[in-house]
Amino acid sequence: MTRWAMIADLERCVGCQTCTAACKHTNATSPAVQWRKVLDIEAGSYPAVSRTYVPVGCQHCEDPPCMKVCPSTATRKRADGIVTIDYDICIGCAYCDVACPYQARFKVDAADFAYGAGRQMQHEAEREDPARLGVAQKCTFCSDRIDFGLENGLTPGVDPRATPACANACIASALHFGDLDDPSSNVSMLLRHHKHFRMHEEIGTGPGFYYLYEHAGSPAAAEERSARTTPTAPSRIRSRGVEPWHQKHWDWKAAGNFLTGGVGTGLFAAAAFAAATVGPSPLLGLLAMVLVGLGLLLVMMKIGRPLRAASVLRQPQYSWMSREAWVAMVFFPLALAAVWTGMTVLWLAAAALALLFLFCQGMILREAKGIPAWRAQPIVPLIVATGLTEGAGAFLVACTVLPALAPLTRGAAVAVVALAAVRALAWVTYRGALTRDGAPTKALAVLDDYRPWLLIGGLAVPAVGVIAAMLAQSLVEPLFVLAGVAAAAAGLGFKFLLITRAGYNQGFALPHTPVRGTGHAGPAVKPGWILPSEGLRQGGP
Amino acid sequence: MPGTSAPSRPKHSERTVSTYCYQCVAGPDLLKVRIEDNVATEVTPNFDAATIHPAGGKVCVKAFGLVQKAYTPNRVLTPMKRTNPKKGRGEDPGFVAISWDEALDLVAGKLNAARAAGLTDKAGYPRVAASFGGGGTPTAYMGTLPAFLGAWGPVDMSFGSGQGVKCTHSEHLYGELWHRAFTVAPDTPLCEYVLSFGANVEASGGVCGVKRHADARNRGMKRVQVEPHLSVTGGASAEWIPIKPKTDVAFLFAMIHVLLHEHARDRLDLPFLKNVTSSPYLIGPNGYFLRSADTRKPLMFDLGSARAVPFDTPGADPALEGSFKVDGVEVGPDNELFTHRGIEARPAFAHLVDHVRSYSPEWASWICDVPAATIRRITNEFLDHAHVGETIEIEGVTLPYRPVSISFGKTVNNGWGGYECCWARTLIPCLLGALEVPGGTLGSTVRLNRPADNRWSSIKPGPDGFMDYPMNPTSKEAWISRPTARSGHRTLVPLVANSAWSQALGPTHLAWMQQSEDFEHFPHASPPDVWFVYRTNPVISFWDTKRIGEAVANFPFTVCFTLTRDETNHMADVLLPDCTDLEGLQLLRIGGTKYIEQFWDYQGFALRDPAVTPQGEARDFTWIATELALRSGILEAYNAAVNRGGHGVKLSGKNYDFSLDVSVPHGVEEIWDATCRAASAEITDGQSSDGLAWFREHGFRVAPFPRLMWYLYPRLVEQGLRFEQPYQERLLRVGKELGRRLHEQGITWWDRQLEEYEAIPHWRDLGKLWEDALAKHFKVDISDYPFWLVTSRSMQYSWGNNVGLQLIKEVADNVIGHGSVVMNESAAARLGIEDGDRIEVRSPLNATEGRVVLREGIRPDTLLIIGQFEHWATPYAKDFDAPSMNPLVPMLLDLTDATGSAADLVKVKVTKLRGAA
Repeated sequence: MTRWAMIADLERCVGCQTCTAACKHTNATSPAVQWRKVLDIEAGSYPAVSRTYVPVGCQHCEDPPCMKVCPSTATRKRADGIVTIDYDICIGCAYCDVACPYQARFKVDAADFAYGAGRQMQHEAEREDPARLGVAQKCTFCSDRIDFGLENGLTPGVDPRATPACANACIASALHFGDLDDPSSNVSMLLRHHKHFRMHEEIGTGPGFYYLYEHAGSPAAAEERSARTTPTAPSRIRSRGVEPWHQKHWDWKAAGNFLTGGVGTGLFAAAAFAAATVGPSPLLGLLAMVLVGLGLLLVMMKIGRPLRAASVLRQPQYSWMSREAWVAMVFFPLALAAVWTGMTVLWLAAAALALLFLFCQGMILREAKGIPAWRAQPIVPLIVATGLTEGAGAFLVACTVLPALAPLTRGAAVAVVALAAVRALAWVTYRGALTRDGAPTKALAVLDDYRPWLLIGGLAVPAVGVIAAMLAQSLVEPLFVLAGVAAAAAGLGFKFLLITRAGYNQGFALPHTPVRGTGHAGPAVKPGWILPSEGLRQGGP
Repeated sequence: MPGTSAPSRPKHSERTVSTYCYQCVAGPDLLKVRIEDNVATEVTPNFDAATIHPAGGKVCVKAFGLVQKAYTPNRVLTPMKRTNPKKGRGEDPGFVAISWDEALDLVAGKLNAARAAGLTDKAGYPRVAASFGGGGTPTAYMGTLPAFLGAWGPVDMSFGSGQGVKCTHSEHLYGELWHRAFTVAPDTPLCEYVLSFGANVEASGGVCGVKRHADARNRGMKRVQVEPHLSVTGGASAEWIPIKPKTDVAFLFAMIHVLLHEHARDRLDLPFLKNVTSSPYLIGPNGYFLRSADTRKPLMFDLGSARAVPFDTPGADPALEGSFKVDGVEVGPDNELFTHRGIEARPAFAHLVDHVRSYSPEWASWICDVPAATIRRITNEFLDHAHVGETIEIEGVTLPYRPVSISFGKTVNNGWGGYECCWARTLIPCLLGALEVPGGTLGSTVRLNRPADNRWSSIKPGPDGFMDYPMNPTSKEAWISRPTARSGHRTLVPLVANSAWSQALGPTHLAWMQQSEDFEHFPHASPPDVWFVYRTNPVISFWDTKRIGEAVANFPFTVCFTLTRDETNHMADVLLPDCTDLEGLQLLRIGGTKYIEQFWDYQGFALRDPAVTPQGEARDFTWIATELALRSGILEAYNAAVNRGGHGVKLSGKNYDFSLDVSVPHGVEEIWDATCRAASAEITDGQSSDGLAWFREHGFRVAPFPRLMWYLYPRLVEQGLRFEQPYQERLLRVGKELGRRLHEQGITWWDRQLEEYEAIPHWRDLGKLWEDALAKHFKVDISDYPFWLVTSRSMQYSWGNNVGLQLIKEVADNVIGHGSVVMNESAAARLGIEDGDRIEVRSPLNATEGRVVLREGIRPDTLLIIGQFEHWATPYAKDFDAPSMNPLVPMLLDLTDATGSAADLVKVKVTKLRGAA
């Protein structure tokens, strides 16, 4: 077998960006799109400061989260380990972007030129590729060069014509490319002899990108172990593009799917309960369907290639986005049939699908491995609890408006409070998980800022409202409306923030800063993170 | 189309073209350009040269900007002439497109008028001036223009575009004097320990430097970076020592102290000191060598015969220390003779030992803000790695093996203190026998000594057992009292010699300063009648750029070879669009040993084969030069200059002659075909005469260059010569004579510079020198300016003439600090400044504004502004909003050293600007 991999020798790299430029030439990427780039990471406190240059890009993972989430099958992994994107299939949903913990993916929606619109240069026109617009793109390991080389009897990583452009261009010879499965290959030899790590190993994606941080070195190096002014603790870190930044592609429209989808599915479940108890409410059912549909419509509006939207159904075996779409495909006719016929069994079946849809939404976030605030395991019960609470809240409001539902009002009110309490518990669990596992500082700040809104606005207010309504002689209905709206709004606000403001990506991290000639490797660097120990020290959630 | 990097569009044609990149002084390097459908799309390494090029046929990030450079929509694509006679930043030049005929006639008309008026003006200054940037690299792109200038006659090339402050100026001059080292480098492939004072080799060492140092790190070489901020190179070093700006002299002097006062003598390379340096030369009471009365040869005290003997006495065992009773004479300035009988005299080495007695690490510690223990540890590590006494075989010759070296960045080795630093940096290897030997400190190339084809051939026996050096005369009879260029380089700076490069290496700011102030008893420097500008933008790249801009605006006729509009050509009268790097045709010498870290095992020639059809009306430089020669009536002289090799290659040799007919103009390809033939013949000793077609097919042609020639030591020993260390008797005498000449003419404004001519340099408080000069000149309380402002090179931008290229900005922005003011976190916190805040940085001269980038890797008393920006006319770059230190650094005589250089250094204060965050 063959497993292509890249090695960056951090002792050699000087951060010159020649690989960045070479990649841009070879792959004709748009301005600001850098499939390969080199980070410049400073860590420590004056005067014990280190500066490390770290080439990054697609890591061509053994278990690529981008591929598992891709609903269209555009992202695949070849037998030789190279992760590819088929531009002709990709729908541009950017799910892969938020699933990648290495920030390796880009999406350009409109043609972009170095000197702006209308000032396209000859080489830009020559290399313009409309197939890349609106779809995901990333480093290919220059697979066309590898394939060309193999077809012509060349050895990738050895013969420049068969080697990725970045490795070819690297003036420090810091980048090496080759076959990990060949024990005599350049990369196998390097890994055998020198200390190395892979970035974000703990996420478990099995990157095909290794970093050498300490060479076996010469006898002189072995003798030379003098005091080195590398930091003992990275108290301050300054760098460009290293700290987690907010994901760019899932905007309010993507959030909208989680908002209306959550309310819609929760509401439909409540409506099904009503159908089974006091009789069906077609209006409520239709409203729930419209909400779910609206969310999906919003998603369609945000994807890069809306005309290919149907391709979202292509990968139910892996992708929770495909599964969500498939569930929706079954939910809508079934729900319509339920509304049309009023048959309880259909209502209940459709409600089950609605809950499954809600679960899919939780899993969609859970599988977004690139976003620490989303991928935490307790996100799934939290999203489900939130959707149900919103649905219950909406149902409670509906009970005050629709006379047919009036008998269920008090029960709904109790359910709202109970679900809000479950949601609060889920939130505490979720936030605790983030503290335990660590998360980007900025994401935690967003979440913590919202905590009072969720716990007070989303639990205390509904609880007090419901209790007051239960005890009150007047203003009963407004108090129930207040409780329902507060419970739902708190959840909606949470999800909106979660997607659009707490969606900080993984950023970059080094388990070791490298040796430079002599001395020892330095300590770990993880810019922009509250590390697990620090989080616990700060008291957690 | 799964995972492909190539676009879907079908290609009609595809080919590659070989060319070279010499955009920075650390080149030239080789590359290929991919051409698709006759459009250049991609720059790649030239792997055909993988085995002959020290960096495997690779080019750095700058070369990848060349495609945009050719196709940028901001290019000036037709000749233009100015319609607004008023010049200045606020004036619209009113450029209008004209034909090449009109443009060339316009320029030739001015040239012919200048010739008619006399090639020099009343003061003796050339009426035609030319300024080129990039440390001399523009000649790799200007075709036969050097032949045109050579044929023209006197041309004033002393209007600097950054020289003296942006280069390693002191190293250029003293390096050439001491070891034929226009630039100095470690013998990195063999070195074990490099002590780098701000040498930013990972940013400015080119691909060869980067490759060599990366190899050395993998091998275990330790590099210690001593500098006020943690540069790119500091980041890639084993250790960073944050030294206070401009105090490197004290650190180096303390190292000498430790070597001479804290270790046994036998830790030093005593045979080297005795036989290959002037250490044993006896010093007379007036400070000059004690010489034999009859032969005037310097004397040593031979321990074997217990008497003073001439330095070249075979079998002598000279004393390095002790005091001896001897007879002899001293030759002072203007051949003054001091005769001595029975006086006590000591060797130069003994004087050195005494001289550095007080320069202990404890003394240096408070000056440098570096712990004494650190200085001592570094020195001891350096000594431990020197392997004194060991040898290595290079190409069958056994040489000393001394794998330790000291390297300098600019600001360390220019301006005041440059002499002391360069002296110490040359002396320390002498103490350990590590100068110009494998593993040690090497020179790279010569620009002042002649011939310049390689360093070995420039070594000729000179006085007193040293290499000869082409000093400008300081004797009463021969001193050049009337400056030949507006900088007065040959009049004021004996060390700058008189090669084609000397003008650019004089005190070039004096040429600019004299445009607005006269120097007493110096001829008034008028603006040149015609000023040519190529690949430089002094209105941005010099110091006190506001003042430069005002001077340029006063020049009557400026011709700019133009890529895009910029701040200097904003004041031009004619813009001529020349072919860019990928459009022009030229043959260039490669290999041997060149600047910085270009040490090859081959030498030969590479072709710059056009990869891109000239855009618009752009013309090849050789065509422009030929047309100018034709229209200005010097065609024959121009052709003769080409035949002589004025464009880089002599067209005839011992057994070949491809000379051109001097009476007719020749086409571009015709000229370069003859050049290619001559190059082929030169490199094959007449065996081959392959022309342009051969070079187009192969790209380059080389022959082996002996590695032994990387080292000066074997050649020096072969000729029985010595390194002129530690005692600078010649400089002492030259300085005295220069002082007398200047005073005879009534010139006293150069007196401070005369103080630099010391036989063994003393420490002087450079920080105070800077502060006093600024306080005196601007009448400010210098304590109001608490920060030192320094700069640093950027690999992405330096020398590249590429600030207007989007690709370069995009990738440069990945490197911390570009386009910002870098400041220490704690220092900023004290001033309430946060990351990203907008601040004003003000020197006593001027101010610049920019965003703050907070870092820990910089001293709290230092600010850093990388590169040179603040463009206001260059398209694209003018929108950067990037600060620049150049407007903040004043041109002052008080800050000018004896070589005519200053340093990129000034005191500043910062103010947080309101409403900005």
